[in-house]
Amino acid sequence: MTPLPDSLLESVAAAAVREGLADALFTRLRTPIGRLLLVQGERGVVRVGFEEEPEDRVLAEVAAALGPRIVGSDRELAGVRDALDAYFAGEGDPHDLPVDLSLVAAPFRRAVLETLHDEIARGQVETYGGLASRAGNPRAYRAAATACARNPIPILVPCHRVLPGSGGLGSYGGGPERKRALLELEGFLSR
Amino acid sequence: MTTVALPPFWSLVERHGDELLAHARRLAGDQHAEDVVQDALLRALRAYPRLRHADHLRAWLYRVTTTTAIDLHRRRRRELPSDDVPAAATHDTYDEGAFEALIAPLPDGARAALRLRFVDDLDYEGIADRLGITSAAARQRVSTAVRTLRERAAA
Repeated sequence: MTPLPDSLLESVAAAAVREGLADALFTRLRTPIGRLLLVQGERGVVRVGFEEEPEDRVLAEVAAALGPRIVGSDRELAGVRDALDAYFAGEGDPHDLPVDLSLVAAPFRRAVLETLHDEIARGQVETYGGLASRAGNPRAYRAAATACARNPIPILVPCHRVLPGSGGLGSYGGGPERKRALLELEGFLSR
Repeated sequence: MTTVALPPFWSLVERHGDELLAHARRLAGDQHAEDVVQDALLRALRAYPRLRHADHLRAWLYRVTTTTAIDLHRRRRRELPSDDVPAAATHDTYDEGAFEALIAPLPDGARAALRLRFVDDLDYEGIADRLGITSAAARQRVSTAVRTLRERAAA
């Protein structure tokens, strides 16, 4: 059978946005670190999924938090796509994109990720302990590490910029190779 | 807010979109099929959070597509646009009048089969049971009736 034409799907998505029917929008973007699934709610980007993560599961996670009316559209998310394309081309930080951390239930973890998003810009790094301090609890470096490990919005909330105090790159939800690739892209590590 | 765990709407669209388009082609012809599906998906999206359960979503999408095809068909044939847009079709309050009007010219047996298929949402075995015919005959009856409607719509 023939799949639905993109033009039809984009028309449905545009009308859905116009009528306020979409709880969230998503798009798939090809990048140097693999395909990303980008999901945006009313208040901002709520989830970024790496290509190993099953899409159905990622979208279901968002549906449980924001509602089931999840709509796919490249066109409606052109701004987010452009910002990330520019970032991967080495231009700027997609920092101006609003993010929505409502998938993070635990208050301290949410505070950690908000701090990380607001304070650690491209080219900077921080340690887990330093991040915990910035978020208001210097002893909570483990909780800070957990917050990073479960970050629902990698790249935009830059957990790749958080390193172990003991040296090395440490772990990363998307795998250590991606952490290295992002830090190289940002000029923190040389290629 | 929904109380049941409904799957993300677009997962349904990506899974069933192609067969809905084929269904719309059978009902409305090539010329109108995409309009039917586009409108049907929007109607379905409007109604989606009000669904009371997550069962039979594929059949529900077929039903929304069917009623959309019927409504668009009537709108195109209508001479007076005054009472144009029928009440918004949803999963359980779609315009049954439109459905009955569309199937009115068909013989009794065909109408009964279409109601069981698209209003009561029975599969062919269920239709066969209710009509006392074989399931192959039920399938045949529904497909002949749909073909007749399509030919009338194209006329």
